[in-house]
Amino acid sequence: MSNQPKEQKTLDFGRGPSRMNGKGATPKKFIGTLLRIWQYMKQQKIRMILVVFMVLLSTLFTLAGPYLIGVIIDDFILKGEITGTIVMSALLACIYILISITTWAQTLIMVNVSLLTIKKIRQELFDQLQSLSLKFFDKRSYGELMSRVTNDIDNLHAALSQSVIQIVSSVLTITGVAIAMIALNGVMAIVAFLVIPLMFLATKAIVSYSSHYFSARQRDLGEVNGQVEESISGLEIIALYGKEDDVLTSFEHKNEMLRTSSIRAEISSGFLGPVNNFINNLGLAFIIFTGALLAIVNMASIGMIASFVTYSRNFYRPINQLSNLITTFQSAIAGAERVFEILDEKTDIVESPSALKVSALVGNVEFRNVSFAYEQREVLSSLSFSVKAGETIAIVGPTGSGKTTIIQLLARFYDVTKGAIYIDGEDIRDYEIRLLRKNIGIVLQDSYLFSGTVMENIRYGKLKAKDTDVIEAAKLASAHAFIKHLPKGYDTFIESGGSNLSQGQKQLLSIARAMLANPNILILDEATSSIDTQTEIQIQKGLAQLTKGKTTFVIAHRLKTIEQANHIMVIKDGEIVEQGSHQRLYNKQGVYADMYKQQFLN
Amino acid sequence: MRSFGRLLNYIKPYWFLACLGPFLMFIEVSMDLLQPTIMQHMIDNAIANNNTELTIQLGISMIIVAIIGLIGGVGCSIFSTKAAVHFSTDIRKDVFNRIVQFSSRDVDRYGSGKLITIVSNDISVLQRAVLMTLKVFVRGPLLFIGSVLIVFFTARELFPIVMIAVPILFIIIIYFTKKSASLFEKVQVAIDGINTRLQENLAGIRVVKAFGRENFEMKRFAEKNNMLTKVNISAEQLIALMMPLLLFIVNLGIVAALWLGVIKVDGGTIEVGAILAFINYMTIIMNGLMSSSHVLMLITRAFPSANRIQEVLTVEKDMVDGEHTIAQQKEEHLLFKDVAFSYSKNGEYVLKNINFTIQRGKTLGIIGPTGSGKTTIAKLIPRLYDVDHGQILLNGVDIKSYTKETLRKQIGFVSQRALLFSGTIADNLKDGRTDASLEEMKQAANDACAVEFIDKLDEGYEYEVAQGGKNFSGGQRQRLSIARAFIRKPDLLILDDSTSAVDALSEKGIQHALNQRHSTKVIISSKISSIREADEIIVLHEGEIVAKGNHETLLEESEVYKEIYQTQGGAGHE
Repeated sequence: MSNQPKEQKTLDFGRGPSRMNGKGATPKKFIGTLLRIWQYMKQQKIRMILVVFMVLLSTLFTLAGPYLIGVIIDDFILKGEITGTIVMSALLACIYILISITTWAQTLIMVNVSLLTIKKIRQELFDQLQSLSLKFFDKRSYGELMSRVTNDIDNLHAALSQSVIQIVSSVLTITGVAIAMIALNGVMAIVAFLVIPLMFLATKAIVSYSSHYFSARQRDLGEVNGQVEESISGLEIIALYGKEDDVLTSFEHKNEMLRTSSIRAEISSGFLGPVNNFINNLGLAFIIFTGALLAIVNMASIGMIASFVTYSRNFYRPINQLSNLITTFQSAIAGAERVFEILDEKTDIVESPSALKVSALVGNVEFRNVSFAYEQREVLSSLSFSVKAGETIAIVGPTGSGKTTIIQLLARFYDVTKGAIYIDGEDIRDYEIRLLRKNIGIVLQDSYLFSGTVMENIRYGKLKAKDTDVIEAAKLASAHAFIKHLPKGYDTFIESGGSNLSQGQKQLLSIARAMLANPNILILDEATSSIDTQTEIQIQKGLAQLTKGKTTFVIAHRLKTIEQANHIMVIKDGEIVEQGSHQRLYNKQGVYADMYKQQFLN
Repeated sequence: MRSFGRLLNYIKPYWFLACLGPFLMFIEVSMDLLQPTIMQHMIDNAIANNNTELTIQLGISMIIVAIIGLIGGVGCSIFSTKAAVHFSTDIRKDVFNRIVQFSSRDVDRYGSGKLITIVSNDISVLQRAVLMTLKVFVRGPLLFIGSVLIVFFTARELFPIVMIAVPILFIIIIYFTKKSASLFEKVQVAIDGINTRLQENLAGIRVVKAFGRENFEMKRFAEKNNMLTKVNISAEQLIALMMPLLLFIVNLGIVAALWLGVIKVDGGTIEVGAILAFINYMTIIMNGLMSSSHVLMLITRAFPSANRIQEVLTVEKDMVDGEHTIAQQKEEHLLFKDVAFSYSKNGEYVLKNINFTIQRGKTLGIIGPTGSGKTTIAKLIPRLYDVDHGQILLNGVDIKSYTKETLRKQIGFVSQRALLFSGTIADNLKDGRTDASLEEMKQAANDACAVEFIDKLDEGYEYEVAQGGKNFSGGQRQRLSIARAFIRKPDLLILDDSTSAVDALSEKGIQHALNQRHSTKVIISSKISSIREADEIIVLHEGEIVAKGNHETLLEESEVYKEIYQTQGGAGHE
């Protein structure tokens, strides 16, 4: 097995602040990703056009407002025309109403566009995860995948729902205001523009400076959260070995690192607001100052200066927004890229287009020269054996010998590297994967249960099963006895992962689940390892009924449970070292006989 | 709310920073508020009168005001951040410290998942709320109050507009804040729902694939996804209405100002510059209110987090540490006297009336079906849980009288779930005993039959163990955790079904090594082969001892034992 990737992603479920988390950097395929997001949004083209139209209108109205104020002051108030002022301000009121309506409408539509787009991407991502093979999951941690579906998609949503409108309106406003300002007074306009490069430079400097600290903080946060998770789940061991102080010391060290990097990151990013505010005020001061000087030489009117003041506020704000948006947008695009990366992942277990649609398999299984390598390491080499329908085959051998791999290959969790596996004479790669697995029931070593009632969990084996069928299966698996004693019987709620049940109880439920599915090929991978032997015997009886006429693969440490198998195969280092019936192998006095004696005769 | 207040104690050491931040913010805000007034002067007095000197003076003072504002803003960012981060870092330290001291019963009560969320998530939420309070909460109300005051003093003629507009703005903001809080709660529930689906799907992906339930899972996910989208849309649609509404009210105020202005200017009571300044102040009033409500929302959202944190910090220790620091070596090593135990208060007893003794150096085997209470017995000895009735004596002393350190130092415990920590193999083994030498590690690994796979690793004992030991198989993990207990050379060794995933050959080796050890041993197993050589065997059934004796006597006297023996091939092929 390989070393797991050590990357520790912080799980920030829900709607954490997404601005400036430093991972934005410069997305590689920025345009390509943008186009791809557009592919999703395109389906709501009409809405999008409507949004842009609304943004256009609201921007125009917003621009008209200050202009009108200037006119009202210069031409009406200063001249003392009361009626004219009233008429003009009524007009202004109308414009304000329109501003509010169009602003509302654009957000309303955009929220829908964005959330529906996000919903589609989220579903596609989940669906894609369902179709990927185990090889994909082996390489990645849950945390990493979780953060794709939660954080990355959330960031994208934030960017879509806000940025699109803001970018369009900012660009429009900036252009509009710029034109208006030039038209009003060229000199003052130039003074106003002088500040722009300063704003962009300042923002860029602060962002790049702080993003460095943010990645440091992210790293430290990962360290802290990693330790928290590990320590809390291993609290008993820590207590038993009296490691509390050591754990605390190492935690404190990490916590202090986080303290330093957090302070640096937050302070440096906190500069953005005041600095931009300062530049705004500076710009304003310059404009007024210039305006005053111009007014003295009669090149500007007081009303004009008034309009300019309002304009420049309307001018700097969108510029500020734009430079902030770039960061949000970059990290959203980077997140989208990671999402698309998974969507583009090709599953290595492919179904052939002409896959056989067989509803039921008989159960003749044959491994022909099967080799399997995992990350360049040979796990199974040239394995050949066959099992006739209805027979039971037991696979035994030391830990890591490749037993589990054999059954994982049979269920096509992985594909063989060389050779082929045949069921009923056909290569398993020629069957529909869903049909293949439907015909193979597996009880895994690590029996996972989902949150839900006991009933629902067993029914997972056969979704259409009636309650009585479920109970019947539970009885066969000897699970009925303990279920009866649960607080609410079959309606008892099982926590996620089955944490409120013992390992043995979980195994019993997962056996019941497989029993309900009632497939023709059954795989029991250490299915009873955590169950006491008396219960195991009871299950064996149930299993005997279940396996009657079914091809059964059993992996077990307790050799007693497999004595009755038609065929026993001893695997060591990925090869078959012995095979035959219990009696034959026992008499042979080889590896199997040794193992057997160690278990029973010491 | 009250927990939030109590947690604020943590900011006390940094009160200076925490006051300096808002104070500097006060400066920034004052400067921001000064700007329009200076502007007004410029227009009304300097420009209108063609006074160049005054224009230059005022221009320079605008720049100075801007610079002072910058200093205030930057300073506020520095000091508020420091206060907030120090605050949360200290809380995190204390919370973690508390949790590490938690008894297993405390952990059971919260669940480890919830505890992890508290440390990693809730504290960040709190930090954010405090930081925002220091930075913005002061700014919002200040801007608001300052603007109102300035309008009152400089443009009193227009003040009635403020009197009307502000209450309306207030009502709108309060309505939307309340409404959105309840809506976003629903959104949060939907998000939790989708996260649970996802997390379970990933954790159980093998089961999903084995049963070919991909489509079923997609459908289940789609339901949650639709649900989330639906509540999200309704929440965000509501929020979308707030801004245009506020804008509308403020703009109406501006129109009213122009209206009123023309009358007053005509009457000579107000100047044009004042109207202009008023327009500016109206916008500032709105922004101030908006940002205050935003922070208020952040703080309210932090309340549940604060509650959880405070709860952890104030959990009363359910286990009082003893004072005994010396462990004498008595012949009667371990004694259970009338022990009864239940995991929950008033719950069903998991253990009843347990009595047994182990002499120094002897081996006790415990066998019984799943759920009979074997593991519970093991966990009572190192005081992971405290007994409800009766007493446990170690070396003649009640285990409650020892300090936990003294008690646990005497014990080597191998638990059912072999848990390793991230770090090297050597680090993990050293958890057993910090000063273990390489030789001792090799010896322990050898005894635990772990040498064979450690030697195959290029890095040997320096090989990195991934979090939770994911890069080792179940059997390998078990062998490493046995080695970790061996290295401790404990007086009392407890093995709780610790070889369930170990292959027969290694198990044989481990057993051999066990027999060589002089420690007193408690071996729990469901396999007779692991305990048949024990000096005494206890047969446990539904929390009670149903038989006691050695292998031979039990075979004769105990039906239960005999049955277990037979099911395990006892009468087999000798």
